[in-house]
Amino acid sequence: MGLTKQGLLQYTDWGLSVLVGIGVFLFWYVGYPHALSYQEQYQLFLWTTDYFCERLSVAGGLSDWLGDFIAQFYYIPWLGAILLTVLFVLIQRMVGGLWGVAIDLLLLHLMGNESVLPAYVVALAGVLLCSRLFRSVKWYWELLLVPVIYWLFGPMCWLYVAMRVLQLGWRHVWLLAYLPALMALAMLTVMQQWPYPAVFFSMSYYRVPMQMPLMMAWIPLAVVGALLFERCCKSSKTRWAASACCAIAALLYVPSGYDKDKYELINMDCLIRNEQWDEVISRADRHVVPTAFWSNCVNLALSQKRLLAERQFDFYQSGDDALIMPRHRDLTSNLPSAEAFFRLGLVNSAQRYMFDIQESILNGKKSGRCTKRIVECMMVNGHYKTAAKYIALLKKSLFYRSWAEEAERCLNRDDLVDRHPLWGRLRQLRFKNDFLFSHAEKDKIFGLLFMDNHDNKMALDYFIAEMLLRGNAQGVAQYMPWAEQYGGYRYMPVGYQDAVRAIQSRGQAQGTKYGEYVKRMMMTKGGAE
Amino acid sequence: MKRFLIGLVGFVGMLGFVGCVSTPTDVRKTDALPPVYPDYIGVTIPDGIAPLNFNMTDADVDRVYVTVKGNKGGELHANGAYADFDIDEWHALTAQNKGGRLTLTVCARKDGKWLQYKDFDIYVSPYAMDEYGVTYRRIAPGYEVGGDIGIYQRDIQTFDEYAIMRESAVPGRCFNCHTPNRTDPRQLTLQIRGEGGGTLVQLADGQQRWLNTKTDSTKAAGSYAYWHPSGNYCAYATNSVHQSFFVGRGQRIEAYHEFSNVVVLDVRTNELILTPELMTTTDLEIFPAFSPDGKWLYYSTSKACRVPAEYEKVKCSVCRIPFDAATGTFGHEVDTLLNGPKDDCSYTLARPSYDGRWLMYTVSSRSNFPVFQPDADLWLMDLTTGESRPLKEVNSNQADSYHNWSDNSHWFVFSSKRDDGMFARLYFASIDAEGKVTKPFLLPQRNPKKYYAESFDSFNVPDFTKTKVDFDIREARRQVLRDERIQVRIKD
Repeated sequence: MGLTKQGLLQYTDWGLSVLVGIGVFLFWYVGYPHALSYQEQYQLFLWTTDYFCERLSVAGGLSDWLGDFIAQFYYIPWLGAILLTVLFVLIQRMVGGLWGVAIDLLLLHLMGNESVLPAYVVALAGVLLCSRLFRSVKWYWELLLVPVIYWLFGPMCWLYVAMRVLQLGWRHVWLLAYLPALMALAMLTVMQQWPYPAVFFSMSYYRVPMQMPLMMAWIPLAVVGALLFERCCKSSKTRWAASACCAIAALLYVPSGYDKDKYELINMDCLIRNEQWDEVISRADRHVVPTAFWSNCVNLALSQKRLLAERQFDFYQSGDDALIMPRHRDLTSNLPSAEAFFRLGLVNSAQRYMFDIQESILNGKKSGRCTKRIVECMMVNGHYKTAAKYIALLKKSLFYRSWAEEAERCLNRDDLVDRHPLWGRLRQLRFKNDFLFSHAEKDKIFGLLFMDNHDNKMALDYFIAEMLLRGNAQGVAQYMPWAEQYGGYRYMPVGYQDAVRAIQSRGQAQGTKYGEYVKRMMMTKGGAE
Repeated sequence: MKRFLIGLVGFVGMLGFVGCVSTPTDVRKTDALPPVYPDYIGVTIPDGIAPLNFNMTDADVDRVYVTVKGNKGGELHANGAYADFDIDEWHALTAQNKGGRLTLTVCARKDGKWLQYKDFDIYVSPYAMDEYGVTYRRIAPGYEVGGDIGIYQRDIQTFDEYAIMRESAVPGRCFNCHTPNRTDPRQLTLQIRGEGGGTLVQLADGQQRWLNTKTDSTKAAGSYAYWHPSGNYCAYATNSVHQSFFVGRGQRIEAYHEFSNVVVLDVRTNELILTPELMTTTDLEIFPAFSPDGKWLYYSTSKACRVPAEYEKVKCSVCRIPFDAATGTFGHEVDTLLNGPKDDCSYTLARPSYDGRWLMYTVSSRSNFPVFQPDADLWLMDLTTGESRPLKEVNSNQADSYHNWSDNSHWFVFSSKRDDGMFARLYFASIDAEGKVTKPFLLPQRNPKKYYAESFDSFNVPDFTKTKVDFDIREARRQVLRDERIQVRIKD
């Protein structure tokens, strides 16, 4: 039985959608699973009605809620990739044909901006779906539909009214004034605590308040443009050619959304989070991103493999902040430092960094990753009352629930915490005496930490490494015997040999990696300390 | 089918009705007091306060039946998963029993069996709490990042909370709690810190004036404000707060400042009034508070130490200096009321009651900032005799600090971390003419256990507000984002 032309077109249409689906899935699952991990760690979706109602209490609440609903599944990258694929395919089919592909590709480009939230994609899909579902309703229903759609999906409602004007005809251009009037009314009443750029344009689509990349406006405009073109251009060949050109242009445009260095750092953080130390070191061999963040990640991975003494200066070192960075008021920079603090036994400092990282999430959301670590710090310190509070929070999530229930069993049970493989060990590694942390004196803190517990080899490695980073030749000479005595090395690590040779020759020895580091620091800073 | 559906709906409705009104049967009695959260046993409340709803601390209790009887008459019941009283009935009962007591009989059902606990009393004070409510700042108890902070007001007769200013309205800005003039919010001041910072002064005309209080003579913008009773002046501390963090297992944060002075702003002329006694470099002055007659300015002061290294040496004293409102000038004789170094402790946050009878302050072992000191307690000085005593009736083994008085000076609100050592909550207590202080009660919530368990904010900088705060957030946002500030001058 031969296919009719209509049938063939339908097959082609669905085939295109399947191709889009496969492409989107592979893009996220194979190409950028770490981007999913990054998004996942800055939300904590709760399966409670309170959480749902709280989200729905502001405009765009449903898209925000659904966006976080999807983002929670990024915890398992293939699952997150599938859900994103569904969204992208939905958008492609709503827009239609190659125009839909072009829009999807623009979306992929946009999502390279790590602050663009899944709520934006949900809102786009939701609004396109609404415009499809309600295309045959009478115009007066818009009086009700526009405020409802605005409340559910936020400012993406601009796209809805634009599409409705196209569908209903220019006599209904008043809709374009009706929406801003509603927005202004919302600002005067229920959304007084929100600035107008948020109420009118961005709301929950972008993590940084009062900002949004222009592409977030271009994509809905592109949808409208595509529809207009489809309507105005009579020639199907021209329409096909134009959409194909746009899709190809958008395809070529996608990579520019993904800054190679930025995503390398995001990948490093993802690997640190999953304790894939070998992979961190392996990647570091291939691609250097000369930042303190990168150095923190690599040094932490080296220390976990007991390779810091051997190989520290095989890799780029950013300087005094290469092991632990000072406090930065953003949601990412201090993650590897917090991880290092935790493993060193500086539990309070880890808690501080994780707490402030969480509070630096500019849309005010909690972080599953940070909350989990904060709970661990509290458990180690025996602060059970506050730990119980955060455990109760995690128990309302999907992917942290089982972990939280395990942790809950240890509440108020010092014996269980002492026996816990990680928490028990950290209790042993903690300082026995209390004093104030000083970033400027962190080398001494590492040294004291090691003196408190000679099993804390990581503290010893960090102690020597920090002195080397500071160019403290006298300190290195003085404490190198510690490394020999307590380091557990069968021979003096090559890295230390290299450093000692450079120090003894006062920088005259050729080809020492440490010597090169000191020279570089002298050139950039006008002399190592 | 229709009949079946009607029958089903009726059956479900009846089940619900039966469930809602189930009264205790086969009740076993115990001599133990009921384990309730919050601990409202024996507290004293004002009439008209929001109902003191409570939960059983035992999570296995699935139902409570509570009877409240007033010793001057009246009775009400609550029945459900927790004690949730009807607001109007509660108000009527407390009004009827003003100056008397309410006796609560609590029955709790666990594993299908009812247990009746020993009755307990809640006392209704003869003193009214005339204010509309309280204002406070909600902030995550973090370290250096404020997060999603906000200033809120709460109607104390109901459970309604309203945002005055949230971080979402002025993204990226950190702000202090607003300070009304003797609980009257028509005249208020607040500060925005950091980039785009400024000091807002709003007078009775409702007009917002955003000032830059930083001058060549004052190193920082004003904070920790306190109004002169005339409304013509407002005192501020100009300091720069820093924090250091412990590496050990107990206390988390030590806050300190490297410089701090106290200045007074003449809000009529936008002039700063400085005096050498409050502008020293060897001492750090903070927490100004005018006496109710406006003739004295109380403040805390400590010797400048090498902080953070010498953080344990920071000991504040409470002093006062004469102030002449007519001329806008200070006297030069400073009285030391409480000597911190001599007593080896730190006296901070001295605030006189508005009737001039009492001076409440915070005592901790060290520091300018008692909120971070677990041993911080409230003390009370009788200004007629000069005698002081710790307020054992209200203090806990965690930080109790940042109190403020009600307009009639018979109530005070303070923040306490007694629940868990980390999250500050608001407590209220009353004081009579003899200085007898009652057991404090936690700010009521509709479902307190759920509310406080799920709240990840500290409630700090509380104050009473006589009326609902009418604050134009749109105008504030416009001014903050516009970044234009009126530069204050130094008064000659």
